[in-house]
Amino acid sequence: MESDAVFGPMMARAVVVAAVLAAAVNVLVLAQDVRTEPTNIAGEWRLDNNERDTSSQAPLGDYTGIPFNDAGRLRSDTTPESIWGTLEYQCRPHSAPHQWRGLGGASILVEQNPLTREPRVYHFQFMRSLDRPVFMDGRPHPPAYAPHSWTGFSTGEWIGNTLKITTTHLKDGFLRRGGPQTTDMYAMTEFLTRHDDILTIVTVIDDPLFQDQPYVHSTTYSYDPNNRVNMETCNGSFAENGGTDRHYVPHFLPGENTDILTEWITKGGLITGGARNPAAAEDWVPLIAARGGLKTLYPEYRATLNGSITVDALKVPASRSAVSAEKMIAAQSPRDGQVHVLPVQGNVYMLVADGTNITASFGADGVTLVNTGPAGMSDKVLTAVSELARTIVSPTAANRCSGSNCPGMWGWSSPYINTVITSPAPAPPIRYVINTSAAPDYSGGNEKLATAGSNTRSGGFGAAVETVEGAAVLAHENVLGRLSTPAGGAAAPPAAALPTVTYFDDFYKLPAFFNGEPVIVYHAPDATTDGDSYVYFRRSDVISAGDLFSTVSYPLIDIARGGSVQGVIRGLNAILDLAVAEYRSQGGTWIVPGHGRLSDTADVASYRNMLVIIRDRVQNLIEKGLTLEQVKAARPSMDFDGRYGSADGPWTTGMFIEAVYRSLQEKK
Amino acid sequence: MRTLVITAAVSVLAATAGLHAQQAGRGAPPPAAREAAALDLTGNWVSVVIEDWKWRMVTPKKGVYEALPLNPVGRKIADTWDPARDEAAGEQCRSYGAANIMRVPGRLRISWQDANTLKIDTDAGTQSRLFHFAAAPPPGQPSWQGHSLARWEYGPGRGRGQARTGNLKVVTTNLRPGYLRKNGAPYSAGTTVTEYYDLNTLPNGDQWMTVTTKVEDPQYLVRHYLTTSDFKKLPDASGWNPTPCSAR
Repeated sequence: MESDAVFGPMMARAVVVAAVLAAAVNVLVLAQDVRTEPTNIAGEWRLDNNERDTSSQAPLGDYTGIPFNDAGRLRSDTTPESIWGTLEYQCRPHSAPHQWRGLGGASILVEQNPLTREPRVYHFQFMRSLDRPVFMDGRPHPPAYAPHSWTGFSTGEWIGNTLKITTTHLKDGFLRRGGPQTTDMYAMTEFLTRHDDILTIVTVIDDPLFQDQPYVHSTTYSYDPNNRVNMETCNGSFAENGGTDRHYVPHFLPGENTDILTEWITKGGLITGGARNPAAAEDWVPLIAARGGLKTLYPEYRATLNGSITVDALKVPASRSAVSAEKMIAAQSPRDGQVHVLPVQGNVYMLVADGTNITASFGADGVTLVNTGPAGMSDKVLTAVSELARTIVSPTAANRCSGSNCPGMWGWSSPYINTVITSPAPAPPIRYVINTSAAPDYSGGNEKLATAGSNTRSGGFGAAVETVEGAAVLAHENVLGRLSTPAGGAAAPPAAALPTVTYFDDFYKLPAFFNGEPVIVYHAPDATTDGDSYVYFRRSDVISAGDLFSTVSYPLIDIARGGSVQGVIRGLNAILDLAVAEYRSQGGTWIVPGHGRLSDTADVASYRNMLVIIRDRVQNLIEKGLTLEQVKAARPSMDFDGRYGSADGPWTTGMFIEAVYRSLQEKK
Repeated sequence: MRTLVITAAVSVLAATAGLHAQQAGRGAPPPAAREAAALDLTGNWVSVVIEDWKWRMVTPKKGVYEALPLNPVGRKIADTWDPARDEAAGEQCRSYGAANIMRVPGRLRISWQDANTLKIDTDAGTQSRLFHFAAAPPPGQPSWQGHSLARWEYGPGRGRGQARTGNLKVVTTNLRPGYLRKNGAPYSAGTTVTEYYDLNTLPNGDQWMTVTTKVEDPQYLVRHYLTTSDFKKLPDASGWNPTPCSAR
């Protein structure tokens, strides 16, 4: 009985222990089969791949395996490697399509949700790169008028063992080191799959402006906890580019460097002293195949090499692009009858009013607007500006302290109680309107917006300062002339829409700090017209470029009103002289274009480069004696037309080429 | 006390055994590889030659071993490459063996030979590969395609009612000596080829298969040789063009 008395509770305990053990074993067994957490990819990875693009740099002109169209090929043919020496590109990281093939390995870090431990953000870091976050929390991609960067904006999702990453907002770059170029209108999709200690990365580059089908490449890394991704700092200097002209844009004219592009096939690679090693010539590669192209990617292309079929007659199972570049470009400048707001930096915001950008400074001193948008958008712009002014300058916020917890407490209570019992201050007024040109989409809202504002005026000789109705409207004096005497006998706008303050020097400074910073208006002579300005918010470090810069079209150069392509280039160079990139050739000084997405120095440089290249090509054709029609037929802007050109509408590619041609004939 | 321990142990074993039985379908045999597939690779595929075009679509000249981790012995053998000799010896399929066949441009036809054997036919060189998931026959004589054992690698979330997703891993041995590149870079009979097959859907809707291939050959390589080969799924067999092996 005694033993039973002991046995009873012990038996019960044993059964409980057994049940717990069984449950634990069950959980372990099930866990082997039904894994719920994603594959662990965090850690140090070493580039480990035996393919040409990884093991060495492709020679200039090697486009094998690239589904280039004619535009992509021309763009690459005419881009020398020395473009890396230009000031604005010296510190570029590897372009996103090439990054996984750059040397130095990769660190993958993971931020986890502290409760569920699900990955919230992955961070990819390379030797020559910026931190690249991949957001896993389901957030949307930014609007199309947000800036592009070298690494773009990435979101990810796990599909089985594979992490799928979707990246948008990428700058123009290159597919491989050595020349093959991309536009800034491509989308990138990556698939990362871990197999044992190998990480396979498949990258899809969809750039319909330069490719006839997406460019898909894959590479591998090996897990290596001892690998260390060193940080390569940028020590670029102007000297790399010759040091004589900081605005020099290296490029080849079409057909100028044909021999250079094929030297890797015919002569071999460079060896010491600039001589060539004929033994290294890759002379088994057919010249025509080295030019790339959709059909060269498929096995049946080999039949063209033995002459059994011509390339033209060859059919291949081509793929389509999933990207509409036309829509992507249009989305940067949405003509949807709405006002979209993008915070920029410091005091400055960008408002997109039916496709036209307005730059606005908000602060205690009030509001300064650079341009006012189309006339038909005035009411919506005014509403947006008023609401922003209220929320930015006098935000309504919950009281954050009480009694003695409040900083600056005095007496029995604190002034913070007033945030509860008072209503918010009215929106500060619009003090200044600055017109960067007389174009109707920039000055069309002058009357309504200036009238809604107010400014101050000193009585002089000791008289009191008085408030006057209406904001000051500031512009170059030629803008006043253009607005007050419109071409074609059109009626002049009402006086309230005209500039009240004009300048005629190289620049004009607002008489005092505005919202805590200098605001300087610079003149860009003979640019899109003879009255162009750009505006620098010096502490916020934002430049409003007006019509000098657009990310959606060629510059609208009005020869009849004093414009010239040389003037636009000079204006862009002047902006680049003021602007400084924050790091790795991106960010820092932000530039608001007249139309299109918010930009930085590299974007402006890319636009400037495009204009220089087209100008030089047209100049070359003029020197060869071609007429305007012959120049147009030669398509000197062919590789840029998909990006900036237009076959119809108010500003066509033909009109732009004519403006360049006439600019050069007049030699301004 | 001893009785108690035994009782507890028996309980644990009984519970665990019950679970295993449940997992196996209450005593039923495990599902065949075809039913348990982590991804569906069957269908027609075409190589899309974006990488190493100049070494794959055309035959490089003798001595071009760039990117190949050949050791001095391997390099010495490669330097004696003679396609005419291979043809005379009936060895023109040397570059079509399992260590390189996925790099050869062409079309693939993937199908189930039986419930546990996946078959890959190639039009280039008219080769056939068999991936055995279970009950593999014993390896016979070494061959170009060797003896391949396969298994699915499942991803997370393979819970009740969820589609199975994952990858395929294949390990191939028992190979006849061949070439890693058509111009005679050798691999030996002691080579092990490990492959991982991934399937992704591109934004344009293309079904894309990427094969990661690791070749380990202690005889001719200083380290493993790692590449990826890409294929696009085709709606039908158009373009299927069986051609014999070529040594050139």
